[in-house]
Amino acid sequence: MISEQIDNLLDSVQKPARYMGGELNCTLKDWDSVAVHYAFAFPDVYEVGMSHLGSRILYDIVNRREDALCERVFMPWTDMTDLMRERKVPLFSLETRKPVRSFDMLGFTLQYEMSYTNILEMLDLAGIPLHTRERTWDDPVVIAGGPCAFNPEPLHCFIDAFSIGDGEVNILQTIDVVRRAKEEGVSREECLLRLSQLPGVYVPSLYETAYNEDGTIASFRPLKPEVPAVVRKNMIADLESAAYPLAPVVPYMEIVHDRINIEVLRGCTRGCRFCQAGMIYRPVRERSRQRVMELIRAQLQNTGYEEVTLSSLSTGDYSCLKELTREMMDEFSSQKVGISLPSLRLDSDLEDVLEETQKVRKTGLTYAMEAGTQRLRDVINKGITEEDLLSSVSGAFAKGWSSVKLYFMFGLPTETKEDLDGMAAVSRKVAECYFNTPKPLRAKGLRIHCSASCFVPKPFTPFQWEPQDTLEMFDEKQRYLRGIMKIKGVEFNWHTPEVSFLEACFARGDRRLARVLEAAWRGGCRFDGWTDCFRFETWMEAFRSCGIDPGFYANRRREKGEILPWAFIDAGVTEDFLWREKERADAALTTADCRKGCRGCGLKRFEGACVDR
Amino acid sequence: MRMLLEFCKGDTIRHLGLLDLQRTMQRALRRSGLPVAYSNGFNPHILMSFASALSSGIPGDAELVDVTLSEDREAGECLAAMKRALPPVMQPSRVRLVDDRFPKLGRLLTHAGYRFTVSGPDGGRLVDGLEAFLNQTEIMAVRKSKSAETLVNIRPMVLRLEGRKTESGAVIDAIVSFTEAATLKPDLLFATLVRETGMDAVPFKVRRTGLYTLQENRPVPLIEA
Repeated sequence: MISEQIDNLLDSVQKPARYMGGELNCTLKDWDSVAVHYAFAFPDVYEVGMSHLGSRILYDIVNRREDALCERVFMPWTDMTDLMRERKVPLFSLETRKPVRSFDMLGFTLQYEMSYTNILEMLDLAGIPLHTRERTWDDPVVIAGGPCAFNPEPLHCFIDAFSIGDGEVNILQTIDVVRRAKEEGVSREECLLRLSQLPGVYVPSLYETAYNEDGTIASFRPLKPEVPAVVRKNMIADLESAAYPLAPVVPYMEIVHDRINIEVLRGCTRGCRFCQAGMIYRPVRERSRQRVMELIRAQLQNTGYEEVTLSSLSTGDYSCLKELTREMMDEFSSQKVGISLPSLRLDSDLEDVLEETQKVRKTGLTYAMEAGTQRLRDVINKGITEEDLLSSVSGAFAKGWSSVKLYFMFGLPTETKEDLDGMAAVSRKVAECYFNTPKPLRAKGLRIHCSASCFVPKPFTPFQWEPQDTLEMFDEKQRYLRGIMKIKGVEFNWHTPEVSFLEACFARGDRRLARVLEAAWRGGCRFDGWTDCFRFETWMEAFRSCGIDPGFYANRRREKGEILPWAFIDAGVTEDFLWREKERADAALTTADCRKGCRGCGLKRFEGACVDR
Repeated sequence: MRMLLEFCKGDTIRHLGLLDLQRTMQRALRRSGLPVAYSNGFNPHILMSFASALSSGIPGDAELVDVTLSEDREAGECLAAMKRALPPVMQPSRVRLVDDRFPKLGRLLTHAGYRFTVSGPDGGRLVDGLEAFLNQTEIMAVRKSKSAETLVNIRPMVLRLEGRKTESGAVIDAIVSFTEAATLKPDLLFATLVRETGMDAVPFKVRRTGLYTLQENRPVPLIEA
């Protein structure tokens, strides 16, 4: 019935392949043959969600269980949601087109603060009450994980339980708890209480917050003695034995990252001070070369993809990258398999690797410089120099590359006009490197894509106490940058500061922002990360109607000792370590990679976390 | 050697466009283990071309793709390999191996077959109107292209048109011209048929039933050309 209705909708929407399902390698299980039905939801469109590796890993893990099935749900584009509401079609899963509300569990992945309105939209489309306190056993247990779960507070009243940290083991534990609770016929409240006993699980309805007159948090505490006061993140100590998909779903339509994606390592110990991922995914854990090759072989055979990407936060740091790429070339080049290496750092020993990957398929070169001067790069602990960049691009130009991406941020702590000028100077030097390359060697058509985004301070980073630049400051700096970035061969891209401003509010928001979020969604906000859909005025109206000043969250400097909304989470890195790093930043002192000696970040407290080399 | 592969585009994937279908076919070819040939250059791709793009929204029963192989193989082996590699909604029906000098499929293609399904009494009325439609020598209709609207006589482009009433309505089969100079799109044919029968818009479903080449004035399935 619903399936037929969906079919009819597909004739009148853009990109119907988003809602088709039935792709190669998707898992179709008999609904009645399993005890637990898990809907895995990505709060953005199909082509974005299907590009997310973590979702694919968890989809595979749940479907390996005999007693459970996992089906995918994505946020329908606005044309589809309008039609669904008009024709009363509820949010459905791709595999069996079952209403999401009929699942036992609904898991959201939180990759980006600006997808929060989509979560409310999806709950509403599914016919699930927005607020956890209004839900009954007729509704799924709503769980959320992912990087943004490290500050879950702005979503506290919409999500039943948060899973913090690596999800591979925890997702199975939550399924066990829900299954048992349903079999035993206990109340939903009891089920949530049991979930709160799991490692890394935070059930917000079991805690309360009190505020000081100045708006800061006075206290945060569990409401019951058995509920833990501190929630420690989950961490998979051994990546080698962790499950990984052998036959990932192959979409019919083109998705954002349309290739095989093998995670070679997790975590990063470089210690860039703006980078949340580099802090919360610690420690560094690698997959062996043998295991990686095994996974590539299986995935190539099972998908027919022609490109493999070796992903991680810093693939250049993978200890056997050179050997691996050589082995990949030897084995797969006859099949015309291309290799792409994202997030390569300049100071990695790139040359050999670049030469290897170029043999078959040419992929882009991306350099995340982040700041325009060495001083500011020292402040943010981005341990690369201009010389690194220039020698790397010169080498690449001489080997036939002509397209380079440069990433910068502006609005970083301690930034001055000199740092902005530095961005233009660096870009100009990269262009010079190209023009200095002898003509017979270099490829035609220099393209330097230079992009500058607005800095957003994030929880669990040394900059978590820092104010973000105000919108006026961002605008002024952006105008200035646009003027000085008019350089031959350079294309300058910038981001909307308004989006970064809201991102900053929600990244470090507290429980009170839930009302703002709901008001914005009721005002029509959704797909806030999509420029065409972003409605800043509606957001500002939502803040006004709730009597909340967004500047309190985005532009305020926090004092040492203030209770931060996320302080109850033990993310591995300690507040002491983060404060020490903040002080070193203020003094423009760098901190070397901890693989060259422990910096006492706190991870040693986790069993099996840091292996001394 | 080249492999001509006849396959279907099933109902559930009717919304796929040519690019999606091409990608899916390329990946299936890579999974098949057949010795497909690649282009040279920095971005090698499989040497493969579809006889004709089938619009998004329309399923097809006998679409055709032409794939260059780098080594000789048996037709039976190719068909079995592609049956394993293609999803159920894109299953192949036939393989024909031809040598490299065989003309390009696009040059042989002259006609396409469509089946229209209409539910309710309107279907019967359309079937009853077919004879009168075919008895005319000139039927003018507006053909829309990206840049212009032109009035053309579509009657000469209709090679065959036959229908039958069914329990739920009617089925109409058509074979129409499909060349660069004269292509009759199925929706234009149907709309004109509806108009000529004296009706307003009639809902219908359409699928492409085959691709043909004209031999001695008779349509022959392209794979047999």
